[in-house]
Amino acid sequence: MAAKDSPLKQFEINTISNIEIGSYNISFTNSSFAMLITVLVITLFLTLTVNTRSIIPSRMQLISELMYNFIAQLLSDTVGDNGKKYFPFVFTLFMFVLIGNMVGMIPYQFTFTSHIIVTFALAAVVFIGVTILGFVNHGFKFFSFFIIPGVPFYMHPLLIPIEVISYLSRPISLSVRLFANMLAGHTLLKVFAGFVVTMPFFTGAFPLAFIVALTGLEILIAFLQAYVFAILTCLYINDAYHLH
Amino acid sequence: MNYKNKNLEELGKKINNLNDKDKNIKSSKKESGAGFGFKISTEIIAALVVGVGIGLIVDNYFNTKPIGLIIFFIFGALAGFLNVYRVMRRIEKQR
Repeated sequence: MAAKDSPLKQFEINTISNIEIGSYNISFTNSSFAMLITVLVITLFLTLTVNTRSIIPSRMQLISELMYNFIAQLLSDTVGDNGKKYFPFVFTLFMFVLIGNMVGMIPYQFTFTSHIIVTFALAAVVFIGVTILGFVNHGFKFFSFFIIPGVPFYMHPLLIPIEVISYLSRPISLSVRLFANMLAGHTLLKVFAGFVVTMPFFTGAFPLAFIVALTGLEILIAFLQAYVFAILTCLYINDAYHLH
Repeated sequence: MNYKNKNLEELGKKINNLNDKDKNIKSSKKESGAGFGFKISTEIIAALVVGVGIGLIVDNYFNTKPIGLIIFFIFGALAGFLNVYRVMRRIEKQR
């Protein structure tokens, strides 16, 4: 099979307009284009649907309110009263990942969440922000986060490195989970789409039926991963407030 | 008046039924086995990646070629188990 038919071809970055500042390549690529579309879709959808501000909401307004309530509920459940301050951050993150995944489900559309650099950047923002938040709230007492209470002192040289590594692994597990789910799902779709074309006679209908089912599953995963990303962010914010 | 009350009662029953259905859907919502396994495996791999990374950096700085990697690989593996334990505890709490 030629390289141009590869199932991984869909993840290739193509430059749309070449921009270089100094030695940095900050070209506008198809990935940036997908992100731009995502941001536009979110902004337009949320502003247009809530624009009417009717007491009896229309269907579209109901969707917006549902999303708002979903994240607000998530924050108050996991973080409590302190969580209200972080609503804009978590909501933006959730919507960006969710709509990014959904835009990626449109055929021929690029999925930017299938690139680890994008998801890792998002996770790193969460990680660094939460660490700063911990230091702001607790000062140097934040380091006691790595000490498990009720453990004999001679165990600490062993347990503190483990706790630190566990803490540092958060952004990696957060980003890898989202990236790998999207990458695997889209590759699988492409592989089965290849079967539809190459299988003889009418047998191509079987993989086609499978693709239909898989697309539904992918949409579920797209939502689930955005939800997981949001809930883990909430849990990390909660950790920054309540050590242990 | 009687007719109206009857209607309202029926509506109340309908709403209750729907509420029950909603609860059933929520309780029967279960994660797939593959998704669960994936979650666990990323936790272990992430901790191992960090452990090996720290080990390699330590070796580079202090010129202790294999020792840093070995020690921090073990720490990374243990941190992975700790992560898995925490995920399991969180899931247990949700039930």
